[in-house]
Amino acid sequence: MSTAAACAALLQRDVRAVLRSRSQLYSSMLFPLMLLAILGTGVSEGLDPTLVRDGDYASFLVPGAIAMTVLFSSTFSSASYYQDRDCGLLRVLLASPHEPRVILLGKALAGVTIGGVQGLAVLAVAAAIPSIDLEWQYGPAGVVAAVAGVLLLALLLNGFAQVVAARIRTMQGFHLVMNLVLFPLLFFSGAFFPLQHLPGWLKALAYANPITYAVDILHLAVYAENSGGYIGLPADFAVLVSLALAAFLWGIGRRTGYQP
Amino acid sequence: MTTRAAPPTTGLAASIREVSFAYGERLALDGLTLEVPSGVVFGLLGPNGSGKSTLLSHLAGLRQPSAGEVRVLGQPPSTPLRARIGLLFQETSLDLLMTVGETLWLHGRLFGLGGRALQERIAALLESVGLAERARSPVSTLSGGMKRRLELARVLLPSPELILLDEPTTGLDPDAEAALWARLLEANRAGATVVLATNKVNEAERHCDRVALIHRGRLAAEGAPAELKAGLKRDAVWVEWPGFTPALAEELRAWKGVGRLTWAQPTLHATVDDASAFVPRLFQAAGDGIRAVRIRESTLEDAYFDIVGASLADGEGAR
Repeated sequence: MSTAAACAALLQRDVRAVLRSRSQLYSSMLFPLMLLAILGTGVSEGLDPTLVRDGDYASFLVPGAIAMTVLFSSTFSSASYYQDRDCGLLRVLLASPHEPRVILLGKALAGVTIGGVQGLAVLAVAAAIPSIDLEWQYGPAGVVAAVAGVLLLALLLNGFAQVVAARIRTMQGFHLVMNLVLFPLLFFSGAFFPLQHLPGWLKALAYANPITYAVDILHLAVYAENSGGYIGLPADFAVLVSLALAAFLWGIGRRTGYQP
Repeated sequence: MTTRAAPPTTGLAASIREVSFAYGERLALDGLTLEVPSGVVFGLLGPNGSGKSTLLSHLAGLRQPSAGEVRVLGQPPSTPLRARIGLLFQETSLDLLMTVGETLWLHGRLFGLGGRALQERIAALLESVGLAERARSPVSTLSGGMKRRLELARVLLPSPELILLDEPTTGLDPDAEAALWARLLEANRAGATVVLATNKVNEAERHCDRVALIHRGRLAAEGAPAELKAGLKRDAVWVEWPGFTPALAEELRAWKGVGRLTWAQPTLHATVDDASAFVPRLFQAAGDGIRAVRIRESTLEDAYFDIVGASLADGEGAR
């Protein structure tokens, strides 16, 4: 067989694989379009440095950076499900004297811990940078609120990631679906630009977005001087606790999608 | 070839009654009935796809039969019962990024072990399988034989009463295979029942007290290796002879020293007293119709072919 024929055969094989993986196909096309629609609109209409306190956009970004850290960490932690499956460890775990949900619970708690610690580490580093101006308007109670917000966000994202992992067979597909869903959510969560000046349709989407409530908690606890223009901690916690618990229980209650 | 004296039994480690299971349309277990006495090394011998691995997964409680009843250690299989069962999968099942010690520690914790007792048990087992000096090594740095020994140590860690092994020595060199069996037989002498799925005749003959011949998800025969081979002559002759007819079989059976004859297109299988006398006579009778002849001492493979009418080398033994 010639080199050209071999290359053509390999090309054909990989193209077929992508065409068979609908999640990969749709995600790769939808993601840039959503980026244009949401991030483009947000930056055009919401990102004016004079809209944030003292024009200090770096400090405004701290809650968003924390949320993004938790998001990445949760995604990668949940992807370990695929590594465990592929190396065979998952079948050993599922053959132990524990129900599958115990195994999933252990893995989800690991994801929450790792995501939470990494998110809080970003907060600690940001707080130590002299040019970053954090207000801590609630004092020590604000620290507690920030920690709670980070852990609830990690709980929410790990639960969601576990649900996705149960349904998507390949790690590539998993990452694409997570990117397709989570990045747009992050973009219109208030992490990168204030929500109050956005168009109505984008603001409505933002209020339907669970990550918005975690970012709001972090803004209020860490960055804001007062609660003007924000959703408010009671509503934030009410929504986030409900959604995080629901997602987490859904995640660990799912079938593993794998038979040893 | 040596056989082991059957140990005393004190009941059943497992019983399977009329168990059926299908993967979609493909029937893997077809009304299989089998009893495994306690304290024995029990072999499940059959070709690839005959249902051996599926049967092991039923014994481990990882699958539920669509019909029939499974009892293990006197109980229906359940998640808590797995604390008393050790299972070695056919494929390597190790996290290559963990160290040898971490691999065993995780397994010990999952099986309720902890503290100093766990550390001591890990140290003793690593010593026993020859990996004591590799405790801090990443699994990825181990050879294939070392990985299998690590997996065996993991199986033995919680001191299981029932050890289920799915083709444990596939890919091992003879030394590694001998070392693995030494540890297994040690555990068996300490009281554990060992159930082994294999398609290696030597392994089943040498190590198993009893052997079940599995074909297409059904039990074809069960007994001690010597019992299963009873009636076989000394030599086994495998003849590839596409033109063979049943009428010729009658003629061959009349020859002196010819035992069982089995025909499964295109192979004629015969056990005979003396192959060196039988084969030349066969060529005289068959002329140029014979394509190939294989001769060796009779083994369980011959018993399998005689009983089932198919070779252990034939895959897709399940329907």
